[in-house]
Amino acid sequence: MAETKASEPIISCRRVNKWFGNFHVLKDVDLEVMPQEVVVIIGPSGSGKSTFIRCINRLEEHQEGQIIVDGIELSHDVRNIAAIRSEIGMVFQQFNLFPHLTVLDNVALAPRYVRRQPRRVAEETALQLLERVGIPEQARKYPGQLSGGQQQRVAIARALAMQPKIMLFDEPTSALDPEMIKEVLDVMKQLAQSGMTMLVVTHEMGFAREVADRIVLFDEGRIVEMGTPEHFFTNPQHERTKLFLSQIL
Amino acid sequence: MRGRYTDSDFYVAPLESPPSRRPPITSVGPLGWLRANLFSSKVNSMATLVMGALIGWFLWSFLSWSVRSAQWGVIYHNLRLVTSGLYDRQEIWRMELVAGILVLLSGLGLGVWGRLSRGVFIAVLVILLILVIVPVLAARVPEPTIYVLVEPQRAPPDFVFVGLKGQEVSFTFDPLTDTQDADERLLGFVETQARTEWSIRAAEVRAGDLDLGQYNLTVSLRLLDRQGRPLTSQAGSGVGDFAGNPAGGTLHYTLPADGWYVLEVRRDDSANGSVGDNAGYAWIRVHGVETFASQEAAAQARVEQFGEPPAVERALFADENSYRFEGARSVAEFFSLQVTPLFKRIVMPCFVGALLFFNGWVIGTLGKRERAVRRAVLGGWILSAPVILIILRGFEGSRTLPLVPTSVWGGLLLTILLTVVGIVASFPLGVALALGRRSELPAIKWTCTLFIETVRGVPLITILFMAKQIVPFFWSALSGLDLAIRMMIGVTLFSAAYLAENVRGGLQIIPYGQIEAARALGLNPALTTTLIVLPQALRAVIPAIVGQFISLFKDTSLVAVVGLFELVGIVDRIVSGQAIYRPYQREAYIVIAIIYFVISYAMSDVSRRLEQSGAGSIRRL
Repeated sequence: MAETKASEPIISCRRVNKWFGNFHVLKDVDLEVMPQEVVVIIGPSGSGKSTFIRCINRLEEHQEGQIIVDGIELSHDVRNIAAIRSEIGMVFQQFNLFPHLTVLDNVALAPRYVRRQPRRVAEETALQLLERVGIPEQARKYPGQLSGGQQQRVAIARALAMQPKIMLFDEPTSALDPEMIKEVLDVMKQLAQSGMTMLVVTHEMGFAREVADRIVLFDEGRIVEMGTPEHFFTNPQHERTKLFLSQIL
Repeated sequence: MRGRYTDSDFYVAPLESPPSRRPPITSVGPLGWLRANLFSSKVNSMATLVMGALIGWFLWSFLSWSVRSAQWGVIYHNLRLVTSGLYDRQEIWRMELVAGILVLLSGLGLGVWGRLSRGVFIAVLVILLILVIVPVLAARVPEPTIYVLVEPQRAPPDFVFVGLKGQEVSFTFDPLTDTQDADERLLGFVETQARTEWSIRAAEVRAGDLDLGQYNLTVSLRLLDRQGRPLTSQAGSGVGDFAGNPAGGTLHYTLPADGWYVLEVRRDDSANGSVGDNAGYAWIRVHGVETFASQEAAAQARVEQFGEPPAVERALFADENSYRFEGARSVAEFFSLQVTPLFKRIVMPCFVGALLFFNGWVIGTLGKRERAVRRAVLGGWILSAPVILIILRGFEGSRTLPLVPTSVWGGLLLTILLTVVGIVASFPLGVALALGRRSELPAIKWTCTLFIETVRGVPLITILFMAKQIVPFFWSALSGLDLAIRMMIGVTLFSAAYLAENVRGGLQIIPYGQIEAARALGLNPALTTTLIVLPQALRAVIPAIVGQFISLFKDTSLVAVVGLFELVGIVDRIVSGQAIYRPYQREAYIVIAIIYFVISYAMSDVSRRLEQSGAGSIRRL
């Protein structure tokens, strides 16, 4: 296990099970994430890794088991879901920026309407965040006018605007042209260095090796192997892990 | 190919490059445009020529008819009815006040939120200028000739008119002795009775049984003032007297004072000998007398100024409809007789309106940056709806604002009211129904679907009849509701059902990722809908929504069927109810078609601008 940076886990999943109809997507998933930890989830497509992190902010509902985020258990209680979602930022593969709003409005929207910040405050924060992701000059443009990498960085800024404790990344670079991947990964590295708790689903092994505290391999809805990058890349134990690594490296 | 060129084969360009020349005249400018667009190929040229000829022919026949013989008076003499229906005559100021409020608010709104383009500004100035200049120029066009007909077997009518001091008038006696001449001129005459009689007689004439030239028609003309005293003519025969024989002749008068005058027309049948009451046709052509829209208008218009007209048996007043020839109007007369009366009626309202609008625009532009001004304008718009309804309807028993029941509201007022209420009420209802139909709660979903499908499956006219007859029968509380308000409800429900389907189309194109992103940010469902989904969905279906509003606007004409006189209803009432306007249905319906077209076109133009504005022009989902 990686060294713990705090005593209590911020996310703890116990025996999580989920089905899509009759299809068993998640099978007894157990995972604990400590504050400020970066966990990278890898695995073949269809292995349930996206579904798993979408369960953490309740975009998907799990049917069995327990997910506790920052001390609150996910249940049908609407207030719990709202409280948890405001603690968790999420970045999607397809960016999902709001095309009818300017970049600045995209970032400032949630703080204004969910946190009820005055417009001026929210926009100032938004501008700072855009500076942090390196595109302050695009604030007045619409998402459709930006490149994919720029859009994904706006999406990161938008998620950060709610000052979340946890960031979820669902294949953030999969829809990007190769030369744009780096600019997004740089922002994510910088975010990891600042101490953000991150759960990242990705195929970027370089990023995983460099940034992750722990790597988790999903296959057929379950966790196959979990460990530090050194363990993973130099001394994998499970046959499935060895096969997976041999295919992508 | 090697060895084809030798060392002596080379080309070097001169040091100076040749000067740039203009392209050939046939490839640029208007000529180039014509060639590229209208005559690019044989088929295109043929299509251009054929379609151009067709459109040209249509336009030419329409314009020539509307200038030379159409009687647009049916609209401009009934402007009050057309704009406000049977709204109480002495309460019309309330409509004017409401129009003023709306124009002022529009100016303020444009100043605060919009931009007045220079083109529009200049266009308005030009229109105002035309409104002033046309009547001034038209005043120099001589009054048209008035034809008083002397017919067989009928005592000739005396002709009554008002004149001003120093005005020169003349009367020409002109017997119709030539059959050909009489045929052409009498059949071109609008007054139907004379025309019918002549066509019967003309058959006898052509059969050789009657000879117009054989009649020895003797007529005496005298111009009398209000007191019945004869005036002296400057020319003609006799003193204030004229006895015309087949040769004809003219009397000239310079009127001595302002007031009523009577042209006394007497046919001396004793002088006609045996033919007696078979004496022929003759014109008395009257020059220099002001014409009026109708007999009534001629009398009414001058009563205030000159007192009651003299009591004369079989009096004729200078009525432009009764005395004209079809097809005989010149372009100048079109402007003086048809355009000027309309312009004189609308010039003051237009100027006041333009001034109000401009003032509003100036205030709005200056106050654009002040939050208080922006709020005041928005508040003004929101408040305007109830205020306008109160002003228009008034209160029972009130002295300053007596009740004007909605049953007498009509014309353009009712059409616009039905449209605006329909739009404002059906839009939120339609959006709510669309959201309801996509709801996850089956009770709401099924209710909305049932409503939408039921309403869409029934013709609007049925819904209007239901609103009128059936609903009050089942639900007695509604029987006290004004018919106009019941119609508003009917139109609103109908429009909402169609709108709901349009909006649903827009909702379906929003990718699910948008909703997920909003949820992941912590937005609750209500905020997700209002901030993320609806703005995108509605923008995507603006053309469909505005199309629905345009058909709502046109569909309001159906309330005529249940007994409300909106634009179409009131015009139908004018042309079928008032005998003198009965021949002018074409003119009346053309004008309302133009009104409908202009408003519909303006609406679709606004929709096009909305689509192109802001994020709409660069959106990419």
